[in-house]
Amino acid sequence: MSAVLSPTVSRLGVRSVFGRRRGVLLYVLPVVLVGLAALVRGLVGDDLLAAQHTLQGLGLVVVVPLVALLATTGLFSPEIDDGSIAYLLAKPVRRHTIVLSKLVVAWGCAVAFGVVPVLVAGLVLRPSDPAFGLGFALGALAGGLAYCVLFALLSVLSRHAVIIGLVYLLIWESLLGGLLDGVRWLSVGRWSQAIAEPVADVSLVDKLGAGYSVVATLVVVVIGTWLTSRRLRAFNLTGDE
Amino acid sequence: MSSPPEAPASRSAVIHDLGYRPYEGPRLGERAVARALFVTGLRNSYGLGRSARSKAFPMILLGLMLLPALILVGVLVQAKTLLGLSEQIVPYSTYPLTTQLLISVFVAAQAPALFSRDLRFGTITLYLARPVRRSTYVLMRLASLATATLVLVGAPLLLLYAGGVLAGLPLGRETLRTLGALVGAVLLAACLAGIGALVASLTIRRGLAVAGIIVVLLVSYTVVSAVQGIALDSGHEQVGVVAGLFSPYTLVQGVEVLLFDAPQATPTPPSGVGDGVLYLLVTAAVVLASVALLLARYRRVRT
Amino acid sequence: MTSLVLEHVSRWFRNVVAVNDMSMTIGPGITGLLGPNGAGKSTLIALMSGFLAPSAGSVTLDGEPLWRNESVYRRIGLVPEREALFDYLTGRQFVVANAELHGLVDPGAAAAAAVALVEMTDAQDRAISTYSKGMRQRIKMASALVHEPEVLLLDEPFNGMDPRQRLHLMDLLRAMGAEGRTVLFSSHILEEVEQVARQIEVVVAGRHAASGDFGAIRRLMTDRPNRFVIRTSDDRVLASVLLADPSVRGVRLRSEGGIEVEASDFGRFSEVLPRAAREHRVRLLEVSPTDESLESVFAYLVAP
Repeated sequence: MSAVLSPTVSRLGVRSVFGRRRGVLLYVLPVVLVGLAALVRGLVGDDLLAAQHTLQGLGLVVVVPLVALLATTGLFSPEIDDGSIAYLLAKPVRRHTIVLSKLVVAWGCAVAFGVVPVLVAGLVLRPSDPAFGLGFALGALAGGLAYCVLFALLSVLSRHAVIIGLVYLLIWESLLGGLLDGVRWLSVGRWSQAIAEPVADVSLVDKLGAGYSVVATLVVVVIGTWLTSRRLRAFNLTGDE
Repeated sequence: MSSPPEAPASRSAVIHDLGYRPYEGPRLGERAVARALFVTGLRNSYGLGRSARSKAFPMILLGLMLLPALILVGVLVQAKTLLGLSEQIVPYSTYPLTTQLLISVFVAAQAPALFSRDLRFGTITLYLARPVRRSTYVLMRLASLATATLVLVGAPLLLLYAGGVLAGLPLGRETLRTLGALVGAVLLAACLAGIGALVASLTIRRGLAVAGIIVVLLVSYTVVSAVQGIALDSGHEQVGVVAGLFSPYTLVQGVEVLLFDAPQATPTPPSGVGDGVLYLLVTAAVVLASVALLLARYRRVRT
Repeated sequence: MTSLVLEHVSRWFRNVVAVNDMSMTIGPGITGLLGPNGAGKSTLIALMSGFLAPSAGSVTLDGEPLWRNESVYRRIGLVPEREALFDYLTGRQFVVANAELHGLVDPGAAAAAAVALVEMTDAQDRAISTYSKGMRQRIKMASALVHEPEVLLLDEPFNGMDPRQRLHLMDLLRAMGAEGRTVLFSSHILEEVEQVARQIEVVVAGRHAASGDFGAIRRLMTDRPNRFVIRTSDDRVLASVLLADPSVRGVRLRSEGGIEVEASDFGRFSEVLPRAAREHRVRLLEVSPTDESLESVFAYLVAP
């Protein structure tokens, strides 16, 4: 199998995400975001600060990473947990093909349930300035790509991927990121905000350039995918629980 | 193989029957089973009666909840005259709101242990094979979770109270305030336990249950506080008041502000009788609805 | 001729040795991997299917290593023990997906053939979540056979099967073995292994206890006495004569007729018996060994 993507794995992935209850949570978060945007618009009209807080505080910091977490762990963890990933691995398919095919589905979910709602919310909040919504959507795209790969790597490394992902988001990015300045170099959330800055013409993060953030996101995506594939190549699966 | 316990005693020799004997004596009824379920659930939530590893997390959370209270008490005792403090630095009713992340994490960690685990491993069949009704099982589990959460929320309040009294704050006033805050703690524990149990019973995967509860509790508070902030700034306070109904923390805070005249801790607390009735009704509705949905969910579980 | 070769393979998990210096060759035909629970059968199958790396030694398929080598799966079909499958798919969709992942030219036809082979054609359009345990096992078999592999590894395949399904699976395995495929299945149930595989590999506590034809293994165990049941025309006379011979350890008169003889020296006993019978004019109606069964072999090997 020399193809880079396997439509079968992707198809199975789509069924896996939307066939379980996880799928419901995926719909709830963007609805909340767009609903809040509409409410804020109704309350204060076209206000830059309120719109910025909404898209940054709820969109980039909460909705995008949670959508990525739910979608990605839903693609990897259940199959690893109950051993049915053996059916994907006991095939002459390259491991990076399997990883990429699943990641494509995860990225698709991140776009559909993260990036598009951010764009829509941005347009609802500030219809006079489409670049605003577009900028945040770009940041959400970068964040979604990186988060998905990060959580995919977590899923193949640990059985408690969801909890570790939450700890990363709550403690590293939110708590410590608010307290310590240095965290911004190593925080996917900060990078996504830095990427949104030039296009949306706002200031969200201090002393973090968009250029660095783009490179950092690409590095995470490439190296994360490679590491995940490597781990799947050497995957231990015994018969017992 | 059981045989009659008569022993062919011959002179000084006796054969004891050590085989299986069925139990014919009195048996305790459903009430004892329910009590046992409740007590075990409560103990297990703090890791008592289980391995050391399962004690670590809840005890650490309890410690983290008590730590700020301890510091506040210390400051109050030492620097009362210096700083001219005449009341608690952080009011009793505000303390749970400030430490809500810890409380949410506790509920998110323990609700799946009490609800998802039995569903995942099928041990629910064993429970229901005993003389206990489905509804009793569910209610007792819920009660354990609520009581465990109440301990977590209430312990620092008692610590603050003790410290305040020791520091010489007026006893009557502090007692009343603490009692009001404890009532609020009971309501908060009931709401959080209901929501947590409901989410946990919907999935058998523990990680997803934990994530689900955290998402529900955290996102609701983030959205509500954002809306309240904007509502206050833009002069539409009533919108903020209504928004406060959508997160258990702000909901209970609102009830305390109205019933016990607690100091306000949210941008747009409820005011007036209309708001008060609304807040009380919604609190009752949250608790009752989560119980009803939980019972309905367990009625559909196949054993 | 495809053969799986294990050379001095050991596998340990921290300080637990699951597989202890095993060497074996699994060739064409049906081989049964037999051992009590916890003996390391699942670990061995995981090693042979490329899902575990040996801590020492090598596992190869015709010289090719199995670890980190996904192209080898073209030739291996694996039926894992775990029940979890893609519940939301129908049986046919599942087998077709497996066929597509193998890169087969006509996945639909191959899947249909495999499903027909395991007699699941009637149920193939139902969701797997509605299947019984035996049906799941059969659909797992179909997914393992869809690419016609030379090697078939089955981990406890008869788990949860009713007698009719078990017979059918045994026939299927015998057919595979007769075609020259290398079939290895693990089990801790002696009757299953006895009925399908003549070649067995016995593993006990991580060690390779015995390998080969189980009748031959039995005969190698010379320090255990052989037992025979002999039905004769005159039990007591023969019994007293046999007892006089040094190759006989014990004789018991059975209440239902016949005598039970415990012989420590099979070679000598096989000469003594007919001679004694002829000399004392006792007619031998039936002579049958009672312990050349897999059970006695197993009990002997497993006994502490």
